[in-house]
Amino acid sequence: MSKIKGTIILGFLLLIAVFSNAQQSRVTAAYAFLQQSKLDSAKANIDAAVVHPETQTDGQAWYIRGFVYKTIYNQNEKGNKQSSARIEALVSFKKSVSIDPSEENTQENIKNIKYLATTLYNDAAASLDTIDYKIAIKNFDLFREYYLLVDPSKENFKQKEIDFSNAMGSVYTRIYDGDRKVRQEFLVLAKASYNKVLAIDPNNISANYNMGILYYNQAVHLINQSDYDLDIVALNDVQDNSINLFKSSLPFMEKAYSLDPNRRETLLGLSGIYFSLNEKEKSNEFKQKLEQIGNK
Amino acid sequence: MKKLLFIFVSVLLLSSWMLVPADQSEEANAKIKAIYIYNFTKYIEWPGTYKEGNFVVGVLGTSVPLVNELNKMAGSKTVGTQKFEIKTVATAAECAKCHIVYILSDNSKQLPDVIGKVKGKSPLIVTDKSGLATKGSGINFFIDGNKQKIELNRTNIEKYKLKVASTLVEMSVQIK
Repeated sequence: MSKIKGTIILGFLLLIAVFSNAQQSRVTAAYAFLQQSKLDSAKANIDAAVVHPETQTDGQAWYIRGFVYKTIYNQNEKGNKQSSARIEALVSFKKSVSIDPSEENTQENIKNIKYLATTLYNDAAASLDTIDYKIAIKNFDLFREYYLLVDPSKENFKQKEIDFSNAMGSVYTRIYDGDRKVRQEFLVLAKASYNKVLAIDPNNISANYNMGILYYNQAVHLINQSDYDLDIVALNDVQDNSINLFKSSLPFMEKAYSLDPNRRETLLGLSGIYFSLNEKEKSNEFKQKLEQIGNK
Repeated sequence: MKKLLFIFVSVLLLSSWMLVPADQSEEANAKIKAIYIYNFTKYIEWPGTYKEGNFVVGVLGTSVPLVNELNKMAGSKTVGTQKFEIKTVATAAECAKCHIVYILSDNSKQLPDVIGKVKGKSPLIVTDKSGLATKGSGINFFIDGNKQKIELNRTNIEKYKLKVASTLVEMSVQIK
């Protein structure tokens, strides 16, 4: 009886070993197909391997999967800014790092993550326009996630966050300028983008200047859109509101000026704000500085 | 990585500085003045002989944004059946033919000449310098708390046979 029992257990163990080897051989097969550029077969094998309990925690399997999808991205989806293969590759390399912390494995995975993250960054930049800006945001968010995985120092990422938020502020402003009546939310988004930059770096000249210009343009637009029929009481209200906006603009423009006193745009902006606040002497002061710079 | 970053930064530098047209603030200021001037035509009544032909607004002095803005107004508004005619006038003598004479602040010294030339006529004299409402102008623009306001001298308006509505008087700082 005990002999039979032993045979059953042995058989069971053998079955497990065979099945396990079958999963390992799927990983090996995927690698072989990859080398032969048979990407569909490589993908089918490696996708099956990483969901099976025997190999789902195998760092090597996830690494191979990352490589398969990276190759699919490079060969078939390089021009696609929303490539799903690139995302699958990144997810796989990330999983491989988390499972197998050995130095050799980690270095390889990180190298690949860096490469793919860089393509996300580049695609985010290439999408910074009024049409594809949502793709830019999505790609930059992914870039941020994977960049911080390989370089967790947030300090190193600050400048990239500033550059991207400044650029997004500019994109939102262009969308808002296209139709100010119906695209009010983009003005809010533009201000939020510049505020994000200023929260990271209060001395960022570009964000200070652009924030100043946003308020300034908003004030000017408020006046210019008024009809000539407006009665004097309503005109007073328009003036009150525009004055508040000009005053909101001032500290940002003053800050930008203090950071770079010779920048033409800032001098022009300050001259305009003070003119609009009916402080003509101050306006002329900045106009003169502008002329002095022009003469140099 | 560095090469790609360079491309990205270049894109950002190209796109992140917005530009302000130099005369945007002057245009906005001119718009406020134009709205006031159009209001004057609603609250002031000219004698019957002034209700024919074009309604002439003469600007004594040089202000391109103001003249442009008044011309825009002239393109879309009328005074009753009268079309607006915006004229830049160089001398006080030319002011005699105007319904409204707007003397720009740089030309304020010409106010006495203008008053001399419009005797027996019915222009509304509008000025843009502190104190001129006591020196012959009917309506004078002034600044109060960053805001463009008007002061009105009813006597100086009515002596040219113009009728001014109490609404306009109430919305102005009255000068006697």
